[in-house]
Amino acid sequence: MLTLHKASFTTTPSIAPLDGTLRPGELLAIVGPNGAGKSTLLSMLSGFRPCEQGELHLDGKRLSEWPINELANRRALVAQQELPGFDWQTFELVSLGSNPSNALIAELLHDLDLTHLAKRSVLSLSGGERQRVMIARGACQLLSRRSPTAKDGGLLLLDEPTSALDIGQQQRLMRQLRAWAERHHMAIVCVLHDLNLASTYADRVWLLHQGQRIAHGSPALVLDPATIAEVYDVELLPINSRNAAAPLLALTP
Amino acid sequence: MITSASHDRYRPLLPLSRTARVLSGLTLALLIALGWGAASGALGVSPWALINGSADELSVQVWWQLRLPRLLLGVAVGAMLAGSGAAMQGLFRNPLADPTLLGLASGAGLFVALWIVLFQGSAAGSLYGQFAAGFLGALSVCLVVFGIAKRQGGGSAAVMSLLLAGLAINTLAGAGGGVLAFIASDDQLRQLSLWGMGTLTNALWRTTAVALALIAVALWLLIRSARELDLLQLGESTAHAAGLDATCLKRRVVVATSLGVGLCVALTGVIGFLGLLVPHCLRLWLGPGHRLLLPASMLGGALLLVVADTLARTLGAPAEIPVGLLTSLLGGPYFLYLLMRRNRAC
Repeated sequence: MLTLHKASFTTTPSIAPLDGTLRPGELLAIVGPNGAGKSTLLSMLSGFRPCEQGELHLDGKRLSEWPINELANRRALVAQQELPGFDWQTFELVSLGSNPSNALIAELLHDLDLTHLAKRSVLSLSGGERQRVMIARGACQLLSRRSPTAKDGGLLLLDEPTSALDIGQQQRLMRQLRAWAERHHMAIVCVLHDLNLASTYADRVWLLHQGQRIAHGSPALVLDPATIAEVYDVELLPINSRNAAAPLLALTP
Repeated sequence: MITSASHDRYRPLLPLSRTARVLSGLTLALLIALGWGAASGALGVSPWALINGSADELSVQVWWQLRLPRLLLGVAVGAMLAGSGAAMQGLFRNPLADPTLLGLASGAGLFVALWIVLFQGSAAGSLYGQFAAGFLGALSVCLVVFGIAKRQGGGSAAVMSLLLAGLAINTLAGAGGGVLAFIASDDQLRQLSLWGMGTLTNALWRTTAVALALIAVALWLLIRSARELDLLQLGESTAHAAGLDATCLKRRVVVATSLGVGLCVALTGVIGFLGLLVPHCLRLWLGPGHRLLLPASMLGGALLLVVADTLARTLGAPAEIPVGLLTSLLGGPYFLYLLMRRNRAC
């Protein structure tokens, strides 16, 4: 659905020319050290910061030529957390940006374990709860604005969706994202810091370093201990994972 | 799993019946206040006497030429100040934004005072010149404040610097006003001081009619922005992905607010705190959604200013308290209370 042809930024924070395709039903993880350009890349994929060279095509049409309102039917973004200034109730915030049915709101709140918080003010929620509310909102936008003729469920872009979640919620969220990708035929892109999450749940991984994508492909290929140790400047202890396709890494003491 | 009963647990974001109930209730209250305002004053005129023609000629003159335009101006200015307060708070995603606090009103005031001192009596139609001066003053402050907000990004640092910028602009405008008062002639000085306290006394049909038309345009622009202001609450990049053209929204709200507040200040001087007080109270009652909050704030602002102005006219009759003093006396303590409550919450 979304294809990149040598898309890049030359002004800082810069991104070196990128080629690639995002496919419906697939979960792509973008990983890399702090300042590698992950969020910048995400905002380029979203069209918020248009690429300066090269091209991005969504459904065969240049991203910059999409009317902003139609584009919102096809892709949603959940940026890193900003505190909402006013006391929306949870279900009101979830329905911002679309006109969802009550059934859809109920389903999404259920999916993200938020049903009991539906009528609470978002200002009274914990950081992790608020993060899940914002993710539910993004999915809600895509699902309720989906056109009946669309072949897929659109593109969901998430910037560090697990940053405020405990490990139990991290697992439930990543499983839910996989479920959405399959059930709704969505393309999901996550910026992740936790390489083991990326390895366990992503179909493909892009590894960024200083604005360049230095490796891409399956988790087993990209999350190679030697590469990671060099890129992150870290000492690692590979763990014998039961699944060779999803290598796990731990820090040495 | 999800039961069918759970589907109707969420009322839609904008239930029509509730909107209709709230807005018609506020309209009714405004009409009652207008009836009260129309009947009371230094010269009591019964609306019934006007309708059945039994009122004497002086009463009819007073009512048509002085009281009616004044009431209408009160409605327009109240609606504009409270409406622009609600819109600014939405735009800055901050419940403390307000045309007076951010310095919009005093910037407009400084430009109008400058106009009075430099050009008063020289040009024909100088009152429209005052309108233009007020608009330009408010617009330039708006652009400065926006520049600061943009440079700071989101977060609490931005809020702090916004309020500090407002403080600096208010101080600067106050000092500028002082300089102007120093060089003004006695005649100009009297005009400046009367106008500066915030009063609806200068309501004449000639100016009120023009102001009403322009303020109506500004109010309409703000109401049209309600859905987009809701979206903006998600943060700029997320809102963009949800279909919001933030640049266009900002431009529209800034122009409408500057036009409206500039006009209000040119006509009535600075009437403080209406833009803070009204939306804040209504948000507690109605929730933060702008599709209801904006029109409700406009009605509430009109209601509050008509009531305050009628009190200002009648409390010390035949003398008049400037209504700006009254609203500031009411709003100042409320603002302090807000700050204290916020600090406790943090």
